[in-house]
Amino acid sequence: MSNINIVDIGIGNIASLCSAFEKLKISYKLCKTLNDFQNNSKIVIPGVGAFGGFMKRLREKEIDKLIINKAKNNVPILGICLGFQILFTKSNEHGYHKGLDLIEGEFNRIDTTMKVPHVGWNECYLNQKNNLFYNIKNNSDFYFIHSYFLKNYNKKEVISFTNYELNFPSSINKNKIFGVQFHPEKSQYNGLQIIKNFAERC
Amino acid sequence: MLKKRLIISLTFNDGILFRTKKFLPDYRYTKNFIDFWTADEIILLDVSRKKKLSESFLDIIKFFSNNCFVPLSVGGGIKSIEDVNMLFKTGADKVVLNSSTYNNPGLINKISKNYGSQAIIHSIDCKINSKGKHTVMVNNGSLDTKYSPIEWADIATQNGCGELLINNIDNDGSLLGYDLNLILSITNKFDCPTLALGGAGNWEHIYQLFKITNTSGACTQNIYHFTNESLKSAKNYLKNKQILVRE
Repeated sequence: MSNINIVDIGIGNIASLCSAFEKLKISYKLCKTLNDFQNNSKIVIPGVGAFGGFMKRLREKEIDKLIINKAKNNVPILGICLGFQILFTKSNEHGYHKGLDLIEGEFNRIDTTMKVPHVGWNECYLNQKNNLFYNIKNNSDFYFIHSYFLKNYNKKEVISFTNYELNFPSSINKNKIFGVQFHPEKSQYNGLQIIKNFAERC
Repeated sequence: MLKKRLIISLTFNDGILFRTKKFLPDYRYTKNFIDFWTADEIILLDVSRKKKLSESFLDIIKFFSNNCFVPLSVGGGIKSIEDVNMLFKTGADKVVLNSSTYNNPGLINKISKNYGSQAIIHSIDCKINSKGKHTVMVNNGSLDTKYSPIEWADIATQNGCGELLINNIDNDGSLLGYDLNLILSITNKFDCPTLALGGAGNWEHIYQLFKITNTSGACTQNIYHFTNESLKSAKNYLKNKQILVRE
């Protein structure tokens, strides 16, 4: 049995995420359909693309319900980038789209004087101690690439904030649900540590 | 705060690493020499001019994807959505487009719909024409599109690209510094992040780029000898001059 089940709905690059697990010698399984998922495995939701299209694919494959059920049963879940965004109530990316609604909050387009998308290495300021950030220094750099920010969230659930003219939540934890706006699989040592922490400590 | 990015751009022909000026091969530099850990991002470009994506180039992408754990952008010779699917499957995080937008204008939009605009870097390859103005070149710099850089960047951003890669081909490999006027004119006009390529010969050139323009990343090819030391020393130089870089 694999420790990690990766949601693979055929969008975007998951090759580097797989490389990260291989580098860390953590077993994983790519799950394309409901039958691929295993009991007692943690779930990782990667994601590249648009919110609406991603949710549609999850619904068609009924993986949305599976994730909600796993969350109810306290199975650890890690959402990455778009996989992080779909954990929340809704997004306004190209119209209104409902998310999995496991965590309260909504995504709106970055509305600052800064360049959009927010691309590059930026710091995470810790809002609280959390196992996901075990052995990671405060203000460490991670690689971001996104155009939508989380709003109307519960501050108690925020692990870290990141500043891009304004402070926005860059990682979150509610019960056994974890999410990061950045790409740990693209963030070298710090990123690999996050993945390791999720597999071993969350 | 967001850091300025130092990006290594590598050009390959049939799987062999080439230096930029006239694409001369340099066998001293192999992928084994490249420092994955200090680079903030890596761009791989294929100039093989084949009808299909070359197998040896795909192997190189796979190698980088398996080993570097930084964002990997890939371009050169992309002709169809099938090419793009293959590149993402192999380990690319972003694709670099240029000629395809001229030869197959619908492609960029298709990629943007499937993968999101953040997955597209669009190249603005320029030359100075006989009237002394910048003109956009495609097909490995062999065809003058007659578009101005601003017009080309307009087409790219309206069709959904996430970043613009600005390159004065004449400067490429010159080590005389970036074309700051060109970079400034595009960076000030567009909302998306811009990256600069072509001409960096010393750390001061990179510093001037970041000081004078609001560019997000400096791409270099010839300047590093691909050892940890030189990338680190570039970052130290910038840091001492109050440019925010990742350590």
